[in-house]
Amino acid sequence: MDSLHAIGFYVSAAVSLGGGFLVAFLPGRGARGAALAAAGVGVAGLYLSLSAGFSALVALVCFAGCALLLGAPAYRVMEITVSGVWRQLGAVAAGGLLAVLCYAAWRGNFVHATFYGGSINSASIGRLLFARDALATDAVGALILVALVGATAAWRLRDRGR
Amino acid sequence: MSAGLVAVLFVAAGLVAIGAFIAAWKRDLTAALAGLPVMFGGAGVAFAGASRFATPGGPPAFGQEVAALVAVAALALVALGVGIAGRGTSR
Repeated sequence: MDSLHAIGFYVSAAVSLGGGFLVAFLPGRGARGAALAAAGVGVAGLYLSLSAGFSALVALVCFAGCALLLGAPAYRVMEITVSGVWRQLGAVAAGGLLAVLCYAAWRGNFVHATFYGGSINSASIGRLLFARDALATDAVGALILVALVGATAAWRLRDRGR
Repeated sequence: MSAGLVAVLFVAAGLVAIGAFIAAWKRDLTAALAGLPVMFGGAGVAFAGASRFATPGGPPAFGQEVAALVAVAALALVALGVGIAGRGTSR
């Protein structure tokens, strides 16, 4: 990775991690949605610096969709009933997960290879998606269909019940 | 200045941990859904990094393909969660 890509990688990493922290701590929905969109820009920048331009475009669109959904004022608040101790334990467990993953990344013995792909790779990913891994693509398509139909049905049933 | 696979995996681990933290920390379950795309984004970064630096045998774009699929799956799960939560008051 050359210096320009490395600088882009580290800047994008800072944006994505900072956006994630802001999502955790900002109080309002709109601010959280904007922070999630910023995290998405950071993740897309990470993909781009890793020569994964197509994945960067897909991630940007998907994060924008998530930010619009979670930043919208329409959804219902569902408060959890567990105490603050359990939330703090969950936060500590997230820190433990970070430590374990970083240890695995640090101690892992990886095979290094030379990358010969382009920067966008839409043709090679299209071949993988629709020829080699068509079943996985179908599974994700079915998941989207079920999610959208389920979301619409749940939304309409709740509205009818009021 | 350079960045290798270990740096990519560190950033991916950070994103996964922050996503888990968001999911654990938020009182509102619907707002906790925001942890999903962050976690899945971290997993996608790890896949793309492995595809970029460490795939001598397989197709070079396999990790990027998985990263794209994971991003779409995260969007679908957030849409499903928001739909199940339903419409209500803003906060």
